[in-house]
Amino acid sequence: MKYDDITEAIGNTPLVRIDPEVHGLRNIDLYAKLELLNPFGSVKDRAAWSMLRPMLGDAVRRGDTVVELSSGNTAKALALLAGMHGLPFRSVTNRMKIPEIKDLLLLLGAEIDELPGRSECLDPADTDDPLTRMYRTLQTSGEGYVHTDQYFNERNADAHFSGTGQEIVKDLDGRAPDYFVACVGTAGSSTGVARALRAHGADTTIVGLVAAKSDFIPGIRTIDEVHEVGLFDPGTYDAIETISADEAIDGLLTLVRRCGTLSGPTGGGAYQGAVRYLRTIDGSLTSRKSAVFIVCDRVESYLSYLRERRPALFGRPARANSLGSLSAGEIAGAPSVTVGASLEGCLVVDLRSSYAYQALHIDGSINIGEDVFETMLSAGLPFSRRQPVVLVCPVGEKSAAFAALLTRMGHPDARSLAGGIIAWRDAGAPLVRD
Amino acid sequence: MLYLKPRIDPLTQSVLDDGALLGRLVDGLGSPLNVVLPQRVGANVAAFRDAYRRHRLNGRIYFAHKANRSSALLRQFAATEAGVDVASVGELQHALGAGFTPDRIMATGPKTREYLWLAARTGVIVNADSPAELSELASLVAAFRLPRARAMVRLSRFQSSGVRVQSRRSRFGFPAGSLTETLDLLGKHGDHVELVGVAYHLDTVELREKAVALEGCLAALDECRARGLRPWSLDIGGGFGVNYLADAGEWERYTSELAQAVLGNRPPMTWGGHGYGLRAESGTLRGSLALYPAHRPVAGADYLDKLLGTDAPDRRRPLGELLLDHMYDLDVEPGRALLDQCGLTVARVLEVRDDGDDVLVRLDCNARDVSLEEHGVLMDPVLVPRLRVPKEEPAADRSEGVFLLGNLCLESDLITRRKVHLPRRPQAGDLLAFVNTAGYLMDFTATDALLAPQGRKVAIHRTGDGAWSWHLDENYWPIHSQPEVS
Ligand SMILES: Cc1ncc(COP(=O)(O)O)c(C=O)c1O
Ligand SMILES: Cc1ncc(COP(=O)(O)O)c(C=O)c1O
Repeated sequence: MKYDDITEAIGNTPLVRIDPEVHGLRNIDLYAKLELLNPFGSVKDRAAWSMLRPMLGDAVRRGDTVVELSSGNTAKALALLAGMHGLPFRSVTNRMKIPEIKDLLLLLGAEIDELPGRSECLDPADTDDPLTRMYRTLQTSGEGYVHTDQYFNERNADAHFSGTGQEIVKDLDGRAPDYFVACVGTAGSSTGVARALRAHGADTTIVGLVAAKSDFIPGIRTIDEVHEVGLFDPGTYDAIETISADEAIDGLLTLVRRCGTLSGPTGGGAYQGAVRYLRTIDGSLTSRKSAVFIVCDRVESYLSYLRERRPALFGRPARANSLGSLSAGEIAGAPSVTVGASLEGCLVVDLRSSYAYQALHIDGSINIGEDVFETMLSAGLPFSRRQPVVLVCPVGEKSAAFAALLTRMGHPDARSLAGGIIAWRDAGAPLVRD
Repeated sequence: MLYLKPRIDPLTQSVLDDGALLGRLVDGLGSPLNVVLPQRVGANVAAFRDAYRRHRLNGRIYFAHKANRSSALLRQFAATEAGVDVASVGELQHALGAGFTPDRIMATGPKTREYLWLAARTGVIVNADSPAELSELASLVAAFRLPRARAMVRLSRFQSSGVRVQSRRSRFGFPAGSLTETLDLLGKHGDHVELVGVAYHLDTVELREKAVALEGCLAALDECRARGLRPWSLDIGGGFGVNYLADAGEWERYTSELAQAVLGNRPPMTWGGHGYGLRAESGTLRGSLALYPAHRPVAGADYLDKLLGTDAPDRRRPLGELLLDHMYDLDVEPGRALLDQCGLTVARVLEVRDDGDDVLVRLDCNARDVSLEEHGVLMDPVLVPRLRVPKEEPAADRSEGVFLLGNLCLESDLITRRKVHLPRRPQAGDLLAFVNTAGYLMDFTATDALLAPQGRKVAIHRTGDGAWSWHLDENYWPIHSQPEVS
């Protein structure tokens, strides 16, 4: 297909049936609406373009900065759209917890403002939340900004009313699904799709999924926070259910490992939440039903989130010559040299960070940070066995471990500076800068 | 029922269990009565020291005196390894009189000439807040031929790179961005002032902001070294927090219900529908909870541990490792956290009456004596019965909760603006104990407006044979033999 402009590629995403072998429902056909296949990678492409388009003319003429309160996908889509039109984009957030997404946004040229946290000593006169204050500055400053306002802007929901919702009906041969399940962030997608299905005369059961209060699933709100969303109307949903981060990850794994769908956590949550909900109904059904859930975005941005919660998924084989393989006895028995002994003829390796080394170090020492040094050792000794070596770290613990490792690797004269560079300093021995 | 049950350690619990003790003390000394527990102090200091040890760090733990005026607690801190952070000339005198030698005292806060003189005369570290203060210190040292003063500079307004981490505006500190000017000024006053470290204190619970500030201070110290200065300390201030509540679930349920009450989806839970900062605008919740996060899974020494394990945003290595690499000492100034479980405030119930659907309980104390509301800490008091409860009285007869009113002739004098659920309806003569008030909630705001007397303060401790012994706060010295509570 040939396009003049990438925005033409937004929408018309596939609706893909999930293999019943995978979900196990007997009387329900379950479909995934693959919003991850939008050009910028998420369901928010539609909303971002729908909200920004009417503002573009004036914004471009004035050279305004596009501003949005977003921690992820909306920011990503807006950054790309703003960039296409030569406009700066700024994302204001207190929710951005995923390092990959931050880095990606910076790469796209976005500015990111993180709002301050709660104060430790309460100022009772200060009841404005940072977001409210942000809204107010945007409203009063007036100049130089356009604010897409995704939590309150009806054009967010409209994008899904005229797009996502209609597409689902068309792909189901003109019949609205019996069940629709979506995670709720700004409520834009679920509200818009629900309106489209109901406008079609269907009495689809709409299930909204939010995170439990103390949980965190990037992209969606918790059961309390959802009430802060202007587009959120409890009347839209037949049920609001909570989904845990654990369930979302289980669902994600099913989608990526069994369904060929590179879904992120909220797509996984929607799958898992849909199956959990539908399972309670499936057995008692007498006719065939259909259900649709949304896969909002892609998995690649969430590797650190997954690594933190399921380290076992990333299990790697142990490296050769690693510190972790040393016993306490080997470390305790590592050769050492005390402060004051001669270092004449020794190669002195300072294992601290390069900033610390540059600030002050032992004259004549070289700096190889411990991480780099450990990597080097996995391939073998980086210096000759005939070269005496003294290792230096802050208090003599890391250096003892490395001395033990070098000894095990067959180095006859690798010693640790006992007490480390702090003992060296405390003894009044000289430290230099170069 | 929407309980917010407080976290109570065994020492405080044993005070509460001995109902007669509190009864006798209130009878003799009046209501409200502030009870401090010096025996708990050592364990709190030790918990912070453990966090240091885990990261192999050295440096001093300064107790931030401002959190409580008690002499007994201060003297008990003097008997440990801790130092003290004083924030006024009065606190400095108090600390010197409590037994702290000047090498264990850090003078912070906005400073008068008198305060600067006493600090320089005794040789305590002056934690300077502004260029003017530093210059005034130098001129005092010169004019009165005082010994060269040891100083830290408090930095603020740190810049983050990449993601802009914003912090609330602070009145205090040298702008981190003008470090060159600050070091020029220190150079100019080099004969009179010796720079021993740099500092920050941020009023936030957010680790990310503190990580930016800590890394900013590391960069500043590197810059000092490039200039030939040799400061060795990095003071990260206070703000480690306390976990006040026993149960995370209760806190979550309470705050969820409060939001629903503000939205009008359930009956009000507060006096006049007070929203604690939340409000409803066309069915959407606006504002934010202006409350202390009363349930904090990570607080005090654990919070310090977590901060030290957090990666520096730029150098992307744990802050504790960077401090150690640079051989810097870490100084901290915890106030609230070092007073965790170190005291309670007891008040007598004067009257219980029904008012429409509400039950009002008037206490013999006012909202400035127990400043839970002022500090936004929501936690239930403990009912300490004085009168024998008649057998037939049901355990929980009023599930709707009670409002606690103060004793001042003032509409706003509410001890709690929320309904508090107690295990049973209180009666006149009962005592209510507000636990864990030693940090800021006890005497920070107490006044004698309307000539209502401020509460007395007593230090109580458990002697070797398990009996309680008590002293008026000003008469307590840490010289009795006491079993340490761990
Ligand atoms: C990853 C992810 N999933 C789900 C959603 C929820 O979509 P909506 O904002 O339309 O409710 C969002 C939106 O922010 C998102 O970023
Ligand atoms: C400079 C300074 N240090 C320490 C503290 C103590 O803070 P906290 O009691 O929260 O630990 C404060 C509190 O205001 C302060 O301003």
